[in-house]
Amino acid sequence: MIALALHTLRHAIFAISIAAIFVVFVGPIAILGLTSIRPASGVFYIWRGTNFTFNNFVEVLHQSQVVEAMWNSFVLSTLATILSLGITVGSGYMLSRFGGWIQRSWFTTIYIFRTVPYISWVLPLYLVNTRLGIYDTYIGLLLPHIAVHVCFFSWLMKGFFDGINPSMEYAALIDGCTRWGAFYRVALPAAMPGIAALAILCWLSTWNEFLFALILSGKRTPLITSTMAQFVTETGTEWNLMSATAVLAMMPALLVTIFGQKYVIRGLRM
Amino acid sequence: MTARSTKFGFDERERFMLFLIAPAGIVLVCFEIIPIMIGMNASFREWSLVNPQRTWVGPKQYIAVFTDPVFLKMVLPNTFVLMILSVGVSLALGLALASLLNRPFFGRAIMRTIILLPLTIAPVITATMMRWSFNDQFGVITIFLSYLGLPDVAWLSDRWPSFALVIMTDIWIWTPWFTIIMLAAMQGLPPEPFEAARIDAATPWCIFRRVTLPMLRPVIIVCVLIRAIDAFRTFDQVWILTGGGPARSTEVFSVYAYVLAFVDLDIGRAAAAAGIGALIMLFVGVGLYRLVNRSMEVSR
Repeated sequence: MIALALHTLRHAIFAISIAAIFVVFVGPIAILGLTSIRPASGVFYIWRGTNFTFNNFVEVLHQSQVVEAMWNSFVLSTLATILSLGITVGSGYMLSRFGGWIQRSWFTTIYIFRTVPYISWVLPLYLVNTRLGIYDTYIGLLLPHIAVHVCFFSWLMKGFFDGINPSMEYAALIDGCTRWGAFYRVALPAAMPGIAALAILCWLSTWNEFLFALILSGKRTPLITSTMAQFVTETGTEWNLMSATAVLAMMPALLVTIFGQKYVIRGLRM
Repeated sequence: MTARSTKFGFDERERFMLFLIAPAGIVLVCFEIIPIMIGMNASFREWSLVNPQRTWVGPKQYIAVFTDPVFLKMVLPNTFVLMILSVGVSLALGLALASLLNRPFFGRAIMRTIILLPLTIAPVITATMMRWSFNDQFGVITIFLSYLGLPDVAWLSDRWPSFALVIMTDIWIWTPWFTIIMLAAMQGLPPEPFEAARIDAATPWCIFRRVTLPMLRPVIIVCVLIRAIDAFRTFDQVWILTGGGPARSTEVFSVYAYVLAFVDLDIGRAAAAAGIGALIMLFVGVGLYRLVNRSMEVSR
């Protein structure tokens, strides 16, 4: 009898904690989503009343800055993903397959520059960009993102190559393949699932990046995160429009989470 | 061929290695190392919007930052409190969540999807929704808490509640990261030690403490290392939630340097602050790395 009661109690506690976790993680997102479909008059008590509207989204999408910012962020993230992965794949392969002082010093370099706080180099980078005339342009935003990704993703890329048995590459080398051939024709195809996972993470992290956007972009090339931040600090009272913008900005994240979660998890596991 | 390779000092294998890292190295030098140099140069100068002569003043700016009471009494403690609490609590909660999710139950797939959301949503958006949910008058969570009979808290107008909100937001974002990595690590553990412990009638808590935790130790250490480094540069959540306020009481290091540069327009002083932060992180980073290396060897 007591054992049965304890058993039920344990199940109840388990169910309650799962429900609590669900509420904690979904709650704030649900509040944001609900606010985004309420008219301006219904924003302050979002759980009261039944007026729902999609006008907030229409109104937000009529603001040219928001649309432009989303387009810019999209282009920037895509370019940054392609270029960053193209650059880091060689670096990760080198870290994984070779040894010696070059490999060790490159690893140390990457680790040390990963610890440098962004603000410490983005602040002077702002001076560089204004001097070179590439402040607030794609190129001026793209290259710093790639520099960040070099430190982040070389490490992860090394992990993926570590998980691939190198004997195929050795066989290719013995058969007269060049080192480049062994890398390009043998190792790279085998690492493709890992690279796909990294591509998704890389794209999202560029889309979500805020400090670079805040410092290095302005009126000409607005990005979605800095545009949102401007909304929050300047028009902090129009919560319905704010929420609609936020919901639009989190669409890629939602899509990736629902359809690409296998890849996200693979990328996060290192 | 041999003559040429000795002349350059690199053999064929080493040249291939350098070739592989060359693009990454060039980007790193041009867009990280050179800016850092320029920043260091600027930090020894008087360089602001009102005084743009850039006269060399030696370590004056560093002294100014180190004698700034805001930096010493607010920024440094805030930064390290945020770092320690965020990493510590997220790790503990992450381990707890991973243990909960590490068993089959109805709806497990949905829970795993939901847990990914905080990681994929931009911190700017997360901070925005927290700011709205904890709004003093109309925030759903504020109203819900007072409905439960808890005392009303003006979340964003006092120092400690605002800072607590910043930390909670950070924990909300990073707990799932720990959960996913710990869950993956737990599923990769061999089953025999758990079976042995169960045969010896160990309690679940005892199994967790004496079997799971020690086996997860290498993963935990690496995660803490990575998160601690990243927590130091937290900017987005603080900037959106409090902007460093009220009265600069929730400023962390990145916000402090940003405000110096783009609000006070004092480039020289900002560069000095940024340099100090980079140096602190260099020491913390190298120290942590040594620690990790040592404990990993011990655990092997």
